[in-house]
Amino acid sequence: MDFIVAGFIKAIELLIGGDSSTWTAVFATLKVSTCSMLLSIGTGLPCGFLLGYFDFKGKKHLRTILDTMLALPTVFIGLTVYAFISRQGPLGELGLLFTLTGIAIGQTILAFPIVTAITASTIENIDRDLKLTLVTLGAGKRHIVATCLWEVRYGILAAAVTAYGRVLTEVGISMMVGGNIKYHTRTITTAIALETNKGLFADGIALGLVLITIAFIVNLSLSFLRKQ
Amino acid sequence: MTKKDFAYHLKNIQHYYGNTKVLDIDDLKIETGSITGLIGPNGSGKSTLLKLLAFARKPTRGRIFYKGHLELPFSSTVRSKITLLTQKPYLLKRTVFENITYGLKIRKDKNNLENRVKKALLNVGLDYQNFAQRKWHELSGGEAQRVAMAARLILKPEVLLLDEPIASVDTESARLIRQASLKARDNWGTTLVIASHDLQWLYSISDRQLSIFKGNIFSTGMENIITGPFVKPDVKPDDKPLVKKLDDGQIITLKAPAPKTCTAIIRKKNISIALKKQPGNGMDNQLSGHIVSMLLEKKSGHIMTTISIHDLCFILTLPPDQVSRLDLYPGKKVILGFYSNDVEWI
Repeated sequence: MDFIVAGFIKAIELLIGGDSSTWTAVFATLKVSTCSMLLSIGTGLPCGFLLGYFDFKGKKHLRTILDTMLALPTVFIGLTVYAFISRQGPLGELGLLFTLTGIAIGQTILAFPIVTAITASTIENIDRDLKLTLVTLGAGKRHIVATCLWEVRYGILAAAVTAYGRVLTEVGISMMVGGNIKYHTRTITTAIALETNKGLFADGIALGLVLITIAFIVNLSLSFLRKQ
Repeated sequence: MTKKDFAYHLKNIQHYYGNTKVLDIDDLKIETGSITGLIGPNGSGKSTLLKLLAFARKPTRGRIFYKGHLELPFSSTVRSKITLLTQKPYLLKRTVFENITYGLKIRKDKNNLENRVKKALLNVGLDYQNFAQRKWHELSGGEAQRVAMAARLILKPEVLLLDEPIASVDTESARLIRQASLKARDNWGTTLVIASHDLQWLYSISDRQLSIFKGNIFSTGMENIITGPFVKPDVKPDDKPLVKKLDDGQIITLKAPAPKTCTAIIRKKNISIALKKQPGNGMDNQLSGHIVSMLLEKKSGHIMTTISIHDLCFILTLPPDQVSRLDLYPGKKVILGFYSNDVEWI
């Protein structure tokens, strides 16, 4: 028990003291997760809207594929992205292996089905009287889409937060695609895994605290937005 | 009357949900500036008709002309002129002020919004100071309905379609909504089409009543509908009359139905009323019942009389002098007569 308490104390010292390896991992995590979230929201939101709003042939099959993608293991995504961006892979020439961009691509693949599926479900559950109300108030198609999205903004925020939580805490993609290179591609989760293996609990706990704080801030912001 | 005097002209309209036909209207015209009452049981097609009139849906078949021009949903010509208030309108997850100004903002009309919202709220009996900044979830059912009404009235619509607007609100809200809808007609010449179960209200304000049953429109107002089970003839030929046996022993005889029809309609005009059975008059249906209600049709001055015959209700429109001559009043026993051949099948 003592080593855990000691770990906490040292963790605070590391964070306050501005330990470079700790803070580099924090910034790397924030950079890739923000990037992957922007990409997954940018693509997942319109796809989710189309999937939830319109009825078309093959929609059910598409939903089944999407739901299956929700359970994609991160190591499998890591493996697939690795295969594509390694030197022998079709995108090898881009030199993305062991870079933060490579991790961001993998995490986008991880977050995309979450954002798309939750957005689609939220849109599907829109009160059917909403569209009728908007049409009868004189809204055109563009206004209807914008107002529908605004009406389900909390559902979409929930989709983003869920996806962010998944991206923030994944290890498989970051480890396989990023390579856990210190001061370069090391993220909070890969660093925790490494420090724990080395028996350096304090560093692991420090990074864990940062991870929990980020998650807390994101949820607090969401709660604030809901109140607004 | 010229074409332009009609707000709507519906031609050969058929509408389906899946394989089920929910609306079948050959020809229907609605005059500009008129008040049309739409009567019919739940599921008869009233809401579907109103959605078509609002150009919120495209009919499966047929054409709808608005002021002489063929129009389609999302047409910019009609979108800003016609509005519909449903029984349970959706309020946007915003403040009352934002809900009421939504339609104006879409039209890029942002002049003097505060004063216009004040007036619109006042029209439905709500105070601007107390309500403008309330959120959608801080309103009672009646208040929400009145806010929805205000959101439509602020648009000064050419056509206001009301689908059971007072079915689930308190009496005061109902009174204010009734009053506001009439003001719209009086102030801006708005054409009103109102679907409601409140017959007293409809008959007192509407210029014309349309009855709708199984998607069929009866432009003569409420007609008498008899549903099965009917007793089929067990011998040939098939064109033998059907009978409906009532539990009190009385029998209604109806001419054989046309193929694929199962509901009988007996028009008000084909039913006579007397105080005693008249065996010699050749009328093969003479049924005994009681008057259950009498309602004045303000426009025509006639009395809409409902007569209960066991578990069936028949409606007749009687001139005041006949009511007076027969000394009719609710509770009085009367005899209804009609010919089996006057029955129509749908």
